[in-house]
Amino acid sequence: MSARGSVEVGQELPELVKHPTTRQLVQYAGAQGDFYEIHYDQDYARSVALPGVILHGLLKAAFLGQLVTDWLGDRGTLVTFEVSYRGVDAPGHPYRCRGRVSKVDGSDVELEVWGEDEAGRRTTVGSATLRLD
Amino acid sequence: MTTTATVIDRLRARIGVDGPAVTAPVEAGHVRRFVEAVGDPNPRWQKETPPTFLVALANVSIHLAEAEEYGKGWLNGGNRFEYLVPVLIGDLITARGHVADVYEKEGASGNLLFIIFETEYTNQRGDLVARLRGTMIRR
Repeated sequence: MSARGSVEVGQELPELVKHPTTRQLVQYAGAQGDFYEIHYDQDYARSVALPGVILHGLLKAAFLGQLVTDWLGDRGTLVTFEVSYRGVDAPGHPYRCRGRVSKVDGSDVELEVWGEDEAGRRTTVGSATLRLD
Repeated sequence: MTTTATVIDRLRARIGVDGPAVTAPVEAGHVRRFVEAVGDPNPRWQKETPPTFLVALANVSIHLAEAEEYGKGWLNGGNRFEYLVPVLIGDLITARGHVADVYEKEGASGNLLFIIFETEYTNQRGDLVARLRGTMIRR
């Protein structure tokens, strides 16, 4: 069965709910090599007018990347992946990663993806383009 | 705002100037620590790298000390990845980055400085494997 037969505009990706903790931010800071203090030092974060430590934008991007690659599986290849960070997110709150198919043109597929906080605010928005095998 | 104008002029002079190339091996242990930190247990990452891993190989924003004279802190505005060749564990990747643009914008709570970085990644065979465009904001 061809992979593209099962992909239609409007189709939603199975959502991925993350539960980031301060510990995870430290773990991610180490793995990425980004030691900017706003991701683990509460006093520093407040001194630069943030409510407290915040998630790395690139950690939220990695969550959305996981959403996309989990859905894609071995059916094709990721061509582009783009994210904009629209708001800050604090650890200790669930982060919902969601997406839907926005365009299908032969084997080329576009996805709209976004991350939502508890209030449903889309604090990260983005898109991915894929080529199905 | 003479000081601000000077900072922006100095940063704009960096547009298009390549930063130092950074070469780093894609190590299995590093990829494992990265996907553990993200919480992405896909067994695929035992051989290849997940979509955002390249940012962990080399610093994507050339250190611009003078930018820190502007505002209080950094925010990441966004990232765009373009993938040309899969990056596999065992590859040796070279990252070359430059500042692509610098501009100031009026935000809801004051002015913001936008710095756009572009990085190109090549593997040990000289193949261009990926491009990354990143927007860093001083606020």
